[in-house]
Amino acid sequence: MLLPFFEWCDGLAISQAYRDSTYLFPVTQALHLLAVTIFVGAIVIGDLRMLGWGPLGQSRASITRSAGSILLWAGLAVLLTGIPQFTTNALTYHRSWLFVFKMYVLAAALLFTVTVRQRVAGADEGRLPSWVPKAVGAVSLALWMGVTISGRLITYYG
Amino acid sequence: MPSIVPAFGWLEGLAWTTALRESPFGYPLIETSHVACIVVFAGLVIMMDLRLVGLAFTQAPLAQIQRRLFPWQMGSFVPSMATGILLFCVDPLRYYRNVLFLAKLVFLVLAGLNALAFHLKTYRRVEGWDEDTQVTAIARLAGGASLLLWSLIIVSSRLIPNNWFK
Repeated sequence: MLLPFFEWCDGLAISQAYRDSTYLFPVTQALHLLAVTIFVGAIVIGDLRMLGWGPLGQSRASITRSAGSILLWAGLAVLLTGIPQFTTNALTYHRSWLFVFKMYVLAAALLFTVTVRQRVAGADEGRLPSWVPKAVGAVSLALWMGVTISGRLITYYG
Repeated sequence: MPSIVPAFGWLEGLAWTTALRESPFGYPLIETSHVACIVVFAGLVIMMDLRLVGLAFTQAPLAQIQRRLFPWQMGSFVPSMATGILLFCVDPLRYYRNVLFLAKLVFLVLAGLNALAFHLKTYRRVEGWDEDTQVTAIARLAGGASLLLWSLIIVSSRLIPNNWFK
């Protein structure tokens, strides 16, 4: 169903430029991994705080707020470096079940982060039962690690 | 001076390194675990560095952030080191000749020395970091150096498969 879109991505000038260059694709991959590392760091510190294992001297809301700007900038960098990687290999990804799986987990992780996680992290400390932030932290960690691991496995089994 | 190449050749020829290299799951799963662990470890180190340079989490006392994150940093560092050593054992001759791998090792040693110097010289001598949210200039410098070195480690790691400088 989405094949025409993948073919259009594959035919873009930027995709051809990436395919023709020796350095462009690997350097973009490297910057993508750096952005992912920073993004995951900001997620993990917030999730650890929700699980009660992170820095307790700062409130959940304060940690999440502070991590929020890092998440925004690192997330933008992940997107900017991820798009050309996708368009360059769009036809390969179209056949990759792991890529499709990663996209589903990514969509779930993003949705969970901007809705449930954001709301629970910002709630007053005593307002929710203690298991709620713990469960949210655990689910968030599992989702984002799922995105990271499946993304890496595409190289081998995609 | 004796060459280390025969030792790496011997390592590469062992039954278990050969089995891992030729297995459809061995190398990919070890490498993926390595990446997952290093992303968590470096991610948390970078969060600590951002705190040190004053760009994030500035309301939390430095000592507390460090104390609470340290077990998680170590919990991801140890498996990332173990899987990294395994990856090297599986293909030592390829890594030994790879300039980007050697650059990564240099950056790792420098990051380790920077962290060691920070803990032994700066961190232990500063009183009041348990409550104080201010950070000294030397600590900010250590944080900046760590940020740069860990960025270089991540970038050089990802570039290793390309081996541009033969």
